[in-house]
Amino acid sequence: MKKTFIIAKWEYIEKIRTKAFIISMFVTPAILLLFTLAPTWFSRHEEESTKAYGIIDTSGIYFSQLRDNLEKIKLNDDQPKYLIINLYGKNDKLNDLKKSADIDVVRNKLQGYLLILNGGTDNIKINFRSKGSGSFEDVGKIEGIFNKVKNKIQLEKAGVDTNIINSVSKYVGINPIKIEENGKESKADFLTIFFSSFIFIMLLMMMILSTGGMLVRSLLEEKSNRLIEILVSSCSKKELLAGKVIALSGLGFTQILIWGVLALVTARTALIPMEAFDNIFPMLGFFILGYVFYVSIFVGIGSIVSTEQEAQQITSYISIILILPTIFAVSAIQNPGSTIIKILSFIPFTSASIMMLRLKIETIPVGEILSAVLIMVISIYLTITFSSKLFKIGILSYGKRPALKELIRWMREK
Amino acid sequence: MLIAENLTKDYKDITAVNNVSFRVEPGRIFGLLGPNGAGKTTIIRTILNIIRPTSGTILFDGEPINDQFFNIIGYLPEERGLYKKSKTIDVILYFARLRNMDKKTALSEAEHWLKKLDISLYRNKKIEELSKGNQQKVQFITAIIHNPKLIVLDEPFAGFDPINQQLIREIIISLSSMGRTIILSTHQMDTAEKLCSDIFLINKGKEVCSGSLTDIKKRFGTNTVRVIFEGDGSFINSLPSVIRTEKSNSLPDTGEKNNLLLSETDHILSSVEVTLKEDIQPKDFLKDIMGRLSITHYSVVEPTLDKIFIDVIRNSQ
Repeated sequence: MKKTFIIAKWEYIEKIRTKAFIISMFVTPAILLLFTLAPTWFSRHEEESTKAYGIIDTSGIYFSQLRDNLEKIKLNDDQPKYLIINLYGKNDKLNDLKKSADIDVVRNKLQGYLLILNGGTDNIKINFRSKGSGSFEDVGKIEGIFNKVKNKIQLEKAGVDTNIINSVSKYVGINPIKIEENGKESKADFLTIFFSSFIFIMLLMMMILSTGGMLVRSLLEEKSNRLIEILVSSCSKKELLAGKVIALSGLGFTQILIWGVLALVTARTALIPMEAFDNIFPMLGFFILGYVFYVSIFVGIGSIVSTEQEAQQITSYISIILILPTIFAVSAIQNPGSTIIKILSFIPFTSASIMMLRLKIETIPVGEILSAVLIMVISIYLTITFSSKLFKIGILSYGKRPALKELIRWMREK
Repeated sequence: MLIAENLTKDYKDITAVNNVSFRVEPGRIFGLLGPNGAGKTTIIRTILNIIRPTSGTILFDGEPINDQFFNIIGYLPEERGLYKKSKTIDVILYFARLRNMDKKTALSEAEHWLKKLDISLYRNKKIEELSKGNQQKVQFITAIIHNPKLIVLDEPFAGFDPINQQLIREIIISLSSMGRTIILSTHQMDTAEKLCSDIFLINKGKEVCSGSLTDIKKRFGTNTVRVIFEGDGSFINSLPSVIRTEKSNSLPDTGEKNNLLLSETDHILSSVEVTLKEDIQPKDFLKDIMGRLSITHYSVVEPTLDKIFIDVIRNSQ
């Protein structure tokens, strides 16, 4: 027991001092923040200036109302978001108009222009011409406003009362509300859910890969210079294994702690929405289960490989399995009840990540949570048993990586 | 005392160690010798409880190997290496603590050995900043710092310059005189010859020759004497007690005095190695030739361990 502690202390202190650990500690959350926040931040900030759009309305029906409505939209600094220019003159030929407007777009005089053909008929057709495919947000807004204007004009033509038109054209949005068992309600915004659950899955993944890689490398070093022989001649293999696992878990928790503090600080500055911390305790529970599960797998792998290349190869297989849940993340949010997501939440390799995701997006029945936990605990017990068997024999066998047949023989050995 | 009885270790395809028995007594240095792949390392690993033998027993001071054993053995493996990124003193203390030393004793012993091996200067340097020889010294310290009762040294001199070899040799001898049980595995026969009191030679997992160094030399000696003399020695070859004579081209290395002798008298000295018939005592042969030649040197030629090693291994194949 005492030796386990000595080993754990040594491994912890020696690893926490390494550059790799310090870098992963700070760079990982930085990268995650960048990935999750940068796109929103940029799209919010790049439109801080008025954009000029042209309109060619051959019918002349829509232009003035369209312009009035669009120019009502303001930027944060109260400047109009759009400047709308009429490009249509009655005497111009359509082809010439298009040509000169295209040139304006190419020369950046205009951000783009709207070409409205067959206005006033049922064959109406509108193109938005710009460099690239155009800003999704702008196209969406213009489309919405155009339809509103078109409806209004048609209804007016039919002699409908203005008040009715105004009332009818009022857009009603739907707010998704997530109900939890204890009666709590929360706003369920797709992006918030996506990113807040995504952050945990990514953190779990990065943490497993960085500490797991560290473990494999250190075992490899001890194996290649036979330090392992000195170690196993000074303490039992059980003590050695326990010491290493404790040290590694310690490293993991140190990371969580530091990340947690970082997260709280950034949450205060509103970089991270507070919703990210909903259900934090059950999520942490699955986080820890997932972490321990993978770490015990890494112990087994570290024991059987004897070169850096082999280690990298196997580590890359594991990272593919780790990335799997993120692929399902989007579909899980869109359709939380789907069978595939349910199945994945009971497979030990994906269970932790998927359950963390589901905890964010839906209220999971207690029975399902408990069975997922049970499956994880049993799997951890099994991987630890297998890994320690691999460890006991593997750390002393050098050279060729053992074949599957040999590994099975090791498992049977006492 | 370490007693190994009927030790056998089978691997999947090969028997690495085949029914080997030996005993290592305290205060003696036990040379475990053999060519590459003979099974030396396997024997060492079974002694150290790193691997379990397929059959056979190992007892140390009458007790089978158990967890208490961990703290009384010191081990220097053949492949050297330490935690490269860690500080010298930290590494030494870690291994000392793993051998159950308390912090205070470990620290004072570490300082003592660093000083003794002349590497105090590197106390706070990272291992990777040390020269290879100095790294080996650090590793040697980790093997003996806890004053182990049983010390296993695998090629302890590899990589050391002659001065440091001498330093390490002295430490090993002093440990032995303190009553420690020492097992030394090596290919360097001259080292073994200078240090070991007992020899255990194995090949292909089997014992081929064992016993005390003097016994072995006697056993493999060919009843040869070396004579250095003045005068005409041509009659020696025709003596009935002689099998053959061989001119030895160099004078025996018996020290400074002899060289002086050579330079004073120069060309008149002759040196021959005489192989005597088995039943002839070297002292009787000396009597035979004493009156007829002026003898300046007479010695019994012992076979070098190197020669014995090569002969025995060849014969066993």
